Amino acid sequence: MGDELQENLVSGFRRLLPLLVSLFVLLLSYIPLNVGYFNNIRPMVGLACVYFWILNRSDIFNVFSVFILALVNDIISSGPFGSNLFAFLLMYILTANVQRLLNGKPFSLCWYGFMALSFAVFFAKWLVVSIYYRQAMPWAILLFSYSVTVAVYPFISLLFAFVQNKLIADEV
Amino acid sequence: MKRRKSLFVHFSHIRLLAKKFAIVLLFLTAFVMMMINKTDTVIVEKTSSIATDAISPLIDVLSIPAKMVAAVYDYFSDWKNIRKTNLLLLQENERLQNLYARARGLEIENKLLAELMNYATPPEAKYTTVRVIAEEGDAFSHSLIAYIGPNSPIKRGQIAISDKGVVGRVENVGNIYAKIILVSDINSKIPVVVERSRDRGILSGDNTPTPKLIFVPREADLVPGDIVVTSGVAGVFPPGLPIGKIVSTAKNNIKVKTFGNLEQLEYLKIVDYDLGGLIENDGENLQDGR
Repeated sequence: MGDELQENLVSGFRRLLPLLVSLFVLLLSYIPLNVGYFNNIRPMVGLACVYFWILNRSDIFNVFSVFILALVNDIISSGPFGSNLFAFLLMYILTANVQRLLNGKPFSLCWYGFMALSFAVFFAKWLVVSIYYRQAMPWAILLFSYSVTVAVYPFISLLFAFVQNKLIADEV
Repeated sequence: MKRRKSLFVHFSHIRLLAKKFAIVLLFLTAFVMMMINKTDTVIVEKTSSIATDAISPLIDVLSIPAKMVAAVYDYFSDWKNIRKTNLLLLQENERLQNLYARARGLEIENKLLAELMNYATPPEAKYTTVRVIAEEGDAFSHSLIAYIGPNSPIKRGQIAISDKGVVGRVENVGNIYAKIILVSDINSKIPVVVERSRDRGILSGDNTPTPKLIFVPREADLVPGDIVVTSGVAGVFPPGLPIGKIVSTAKNNIKVKTFGNLEQLEYLKIVDYDLGGLIENDGENLQDGR
């Protein structure tokens, strides 16, 4: 009985790992780094988290995980509350639609996929937030932020791949 | 067997429908959240403060190793310039000593003149130093989260200044953390005056590193390098606090570079000039439904 309970707990924890690691990376992205101009072009790491896990483990990272991740991001951010939820959900839908095409494909292809989808999400969020404030948000900063997000994706996916291969794969 | 198969198909259909329904529902939630946020009610403010208090300790803990690495790097890079910095500091100290003596004289003179004119002196400022634990900046928002400690006197609307000038204002206050929106944030609007020409305007953040000066008179005489200070209009910010200098005077695009480096803020001073009445009254009015 005790063993079964322990097994269930470990299994539950492993199922939660994608969300926990994503939250960890998300919080990490808000740490002050005192690097000139970096504070203006911070990457939207949440998008990378949603893309990676929906592409690879949509069975344990579902729409509710996306909701929690977005909620935490909205709490930290001073932007319109709900705008990150909108962006993450859009990423979720887009990724779920290309999941069959990209799953198991070489990393470079997945990266190009992320490049394309995150561009669409960045643009959609830009549109929604611009309508919200009735003022166009700065394009240059948006493009820089998008470029940094695309550039950090390999590092984030490296960490997630480690978690996926070493900690989750054998369990679920 | 056939019945079991049809039941299974039926069940998977329901699951698929529920999933689609959940996504639609969450999208609606996102838009409802944005609409509620737009109303800027006391409930939104309270909820946001509680949520910030719950999340911020995690970032605070995570930032410890990053700060240690940065401190070690700074320690070694400081060694390189220690002699040069020391000489510069000695010169600056001498200059500041002279300025201090002059400022003391002027302060006394000002006090005497104010007494002669029966001038109502503004209240003394109270400072609280806070530590920045999280930074946020992209095309959509520019803000900070700062540790203010328990039982802090900090209130919503108070000014945040760095060692060089105004950098933002307190947006939300929780039990131990506060959210500060920077002057570059799109929600930031500060009544300002150009020090040389005394032209008034509003310094409005536009989510770029250099905020815009708007509502400036057409005939305003502005040149790059002009210093912009708070005007004190509206009573939220006291007058005369340095903010930045004009860097571009293009038509409809007057840009101001802040004195405070918005990218490298570690500690801030929150200034209480006892002028927060307007904001507090706003909150009460909202609660009363006025």
